Amino acid sequence: MEAREFLALAMFGLFIGLIFTGFPVAWVLGGLAVLFTALAIVFERDLGLYTGVDWSYSSLVVERIWSIMDNWVLVALPMFILMGLLLDRSGIAGELMRNIARLFGRVRGGLAITVALIGILLAATTGIIGASVVLLALLGLPPMMKAGYNPELAAGTVCAVGTLGILIPPSIMLVLMADRLAMSVGDLFLGAFFPGALLGGLYVLYILGFAILRPESTPVPQDAPPVDWTVVKDAMGASLPAAALILAVLGSIFFGIATPTEAAGVGAFGALLLALIKKQLSWLTLREVLRETTRTTGYIFAIFLGATAFSLVLRGLGGDHLIHEALLGLELGPYGTLLLILLLTFLLGFVLDWIEITLIVLPLVAPVIVNLGFDLVWFTVLFAVCLQTSFLTPPVGFAIFYLKGVAPAEINVPVIYRGVVPFVLLQILGGGLILLWPALVTWLPSMAYGN
Amino acid sequence: MAKTRLSGETMSELGSVKAQTDEAPSPRTAFTPPQTPLSGPIDRVLEKIGQKLSWVWLLLLGVIVLNVTLRYGFSSGRIELEEAQWHLYAIGFLAALSYGVKTDSHVRVDVLSERLSHRKRAWIDLYGILLLGFPFCAFILFYSVPFVYESYVTDEVSISAGGLPGRFLIKLALPIGIALLALAFFSRLLRLGRFLFGPTHLREKP
Amino acid sequence: RPAADQSSAPGSSSIAQIRWRLPVAFNTNLPVLGENSAWVSETIASLSNDRFVLEVFQPGELVSPLEIVDAVRGDKVKAGYTWLGYDQGKLPVSVLFGAVPFGFEPVVFSAWWYDGGGQQLAQEIYRPLGIEPILCGLIGPEPAGWFREPLRNPEDLVGLKIRFAGLGGQVIQGLGASVTLLPGGEIFQALERGAIDATEFSLPVVDQQLGFNRVAQYNYFPGWHQPFTASHLAVNLAAWQSLSSQDQAILKTACTAGVTRNLAQAEATQAPTLALYEAEGIHTEVIPAPILAALEAETRLVLEHEAQRDADFARVLASQRAFGKDYDTWRKLAYPAKP
Ligand code: NA
Ligand code: NA
Repeated sequence: MEAREFLALAMFGLFIGLIFTGFPVAWVLGGLAVLFTALAIVFERDLGLYTGVDWSYSSLVVERIWSIMDNWVLVALPMFILMGLLLDRSGIAGELMRNIARLFGRVRGGLAITVALIGILLAATTGIIGASVVLLALLGLPPMMKAGYNPELAAGTVCAVGTLGILIPPSIMLVLMADRLAMSVGDLFLGAFFPGALLGGLYVLYILGFAILRPESTPVPQDAPPVDWTVVKDAMGASLPAAALILAVLGSIFFGIATPTEAAGVGAFGALLLALIKKQLSWLTLREVLRETTRTTGYIFAIFLGATAFSLVLRGLGGDHLIHEALLGLELGPYGTLLLILLLTFLLGFVLDWIEITLIVLPLVAPVIVNLGFDLVWFTVLFAVCLQTSFLTPPVGFAIFYLKGVAPAEINVPVIYRGVVPFVLLQILGGGLILLWPALVTWLPSMAYGN
Repeated sequence: MAKTRLSGETMSELGSVKAQTDEAPSPRTAFTPPQTPLSGPIDRVLEKIGQKLSWVWLLLLGVIVLNVTLRYGFSSGRIELEEAQWHLYAIGFLAALSYGVKTDSHVRVDVLSERLSHRKRAWIDLYGILLLGFPFCAFILFYSVPFVYESYVTDEVSISAGGLPGRFLIKLALPIGIALLALAFFSRLLRLGRFLFGPTHLREKP
Repeated sequence: RPAADQSSAPGSSSIAQIRWRLPVAFNTNLPVLGENSAWVSETIASLSNDRFVLEVFQPGELVSPLEIVDAVRGDKVKAGYTWLGYDQGKLPVSVLFGAVPFGFEPVVFSAWWYDGGGQQLAQEIYRPLGIEPILCGLIGPEPAGWFREPLRNPEDLVGLKIRFAGLGGQVIQGLGASVTLLPGGEIFQALERGAIDATEFSLPVVDQQLGFNRVAQYNYFPGWHQPFTASHLAVNLAAWQSLSSQDQAILKTACTAGVTRNLAQAEATQAPTLALYEAEGIHTEVIPAPILAALEAETRLVLEHEAQRDADFARVLASQRAFGKDYDTWRKLAYPAKP
């Protein structure tokens, strides 16, 4: 092994090690880029070992940060965040839950199905997992627990559905992936639509099956009112604002009013209007929402900065080359290599979060996939499903964490673990179906573009 | 338990509903080192800057809506407005870096570290800032100076028809943002120092 | 301080003695436009018996296309393969070396560059910035763009939402079009959904790979805004001067071959694409004469305006005009008129 390859491996290994110290991930990434530049110089100057990295090379990071600054597509990110926060503050989501729950009140498993449907609606308006999981937990868990639902089913449903937002368009993750791979955001949004719907459908089927096989786990609440016209009307009325918002975002893209990037701004504007109409938005609330947008934007972009520095130095040390060689050197054939990449992504999801994986790993493996002759949109959607699954994987994951933060005491960590396992299996099933039938991804974009 | 977590502040973004539940303890045991005579004023300045610059998102929203309206409604897109979008966004996210350190809202993987004592966590933060945070800031600052200067002396403008002039101004946001980040690290370093080496009553166990 | 990407590599499997990183402005998977940089890099390796290696890095892998010249100037990489006009914001004259509206045809540009004083002018301008400019790729006209609706008269340009970069963008904006600069990844969908009415992009064979023929029905010609498009190898001047005269010759020869190779390919591969368009029912049309005349008049104003603001721009423009004038007397006499 060359000295530089040793440095590349050490850099990656140290990164995994250091993030477990609890020091912020972003600064571990950025700091290691600087430290390993210094190390590379020592190796080359003092030990006479070729590394290919010095201060001049690593200073390209300034130009790379500038490319993040003047990136018009990434403007969508803070706007989606703002939209999600406004949606929460306006109480639209809460109202939706209360009214639709009454609609399904008398169906077995109806409450869990309500949570699933609302989660899918939320997913189509925003792409922020934390917001969805916490909202669904706070709105959906108390009624399910009160009705005597199986706590594992309740927790699993909330976790799994809450992560769908990252897959069902619009989604920050897909915007970021399209940007990293220089592909059309629209292609990815359309490509992810059926896979997202498929997974949502699988969840609902699983809940229905659970309700039929174990009726005692999903009792119909005693006080469920009969479904009459008033209930239907209320449910429809409560769905209207959310539907309007979906229309604002997806519609403005579809009707050519706005680009996908601008649609995020249009969606945030829609959420602002809804909040104003519902008189839920005081000056103070708006101020707080904006500050929270800054904090969330801050931690995401800090990771961007750290990751762009880290991956530049890693690339300079030949890290890319190492991965290419390793993946292709195994001679697993195209599908074997693809499965290996997806498996590694899934495993990485145990320890890294989606931003780092998207920024560091995706650009490394995408060229390999293209070389193998696979469709890049299809692969990226598969990759996204893999990442979405990793939010759910015990021992840890964003979704589990968010749920733990707000769940009632009886929903402890072992309950959540047991609850998400069936949904992780459903994710693997869904991923397998997408793998077998690429048309699930590729059909919609091809239809939309008239060929 | 959770290894990847967001800070308490980020959690509170979801908070209007969260506040309704009584228990819902914060998932992380908050560790806030004590203020010092110097870090206090620094933190207040950083807080003010973060708060004021948060309005940039509302401005950005307005510019996007204006641009969409002009282009779709009046067939008159303005490249100035397109560029203003990413100018505002860049200012916003660069300002957010230091605000994130000040409010301790950067992502930490604390599955192991949350079991450590506050003293051990303070040591980790101290070494992290000295060995990782500061070198990163120094590196970016050092190399962004010629980057901005070059833009200034060449009187760089946008390469687009009708784009914005004075490009060095937006490029200047990078060193300013990183300098504020370094300042936020410095303030936290002072506080960690006081916690670790200061009066013993500040050193109690969590 | 060791020059990292120029050092010898003991223990490396490669026998390269000079190993440079080469960021390129166009992905090498793009036909003609992109693949030329890979061809040049392979040629340099062959000519030097693998002793001199330029390792190609795709757009954004190291640095974005817009920053390649900067990176070379700052000695962050030793060389880059780019369209010089990306540097227009700092160096207005750079665009005249890259593509000029109603400017030279490609062969005439190469005549001006090699034997009409073009290269010397470029060296006078770039060497003080620490860059040796070497012409390294050249292609013919890029179509005037993809349109959702037909163009009939100059008024059709008023309020037209079009994605258009560079000097051409300034010209078409001057005629009342609403110019936008959508990011590359969004052009396709914006055009498909009608968020924009038209876009300029690249050669037919490139456009087709990116699928613009799937979302717009009208492809307009001629390529008034870019009769020639030149790519250059921008080499850090100190690195250039440190090369042996043999290695300098290798770089120059590979690039000169790249120019010929690139142009031949560009001319050879468009007709089959156009035939494909015809089969698909794409309207390949010529911009009506009154619109073209208006564009030409506006181009003259824009070029004059730029020349007034920048002495180098004026100098290079004057050189190109003088060369073009002389050349025309030869062309009119020498080449048979086409039917
Ligand atoms: Na979503
Ligand atoms: Na996980």
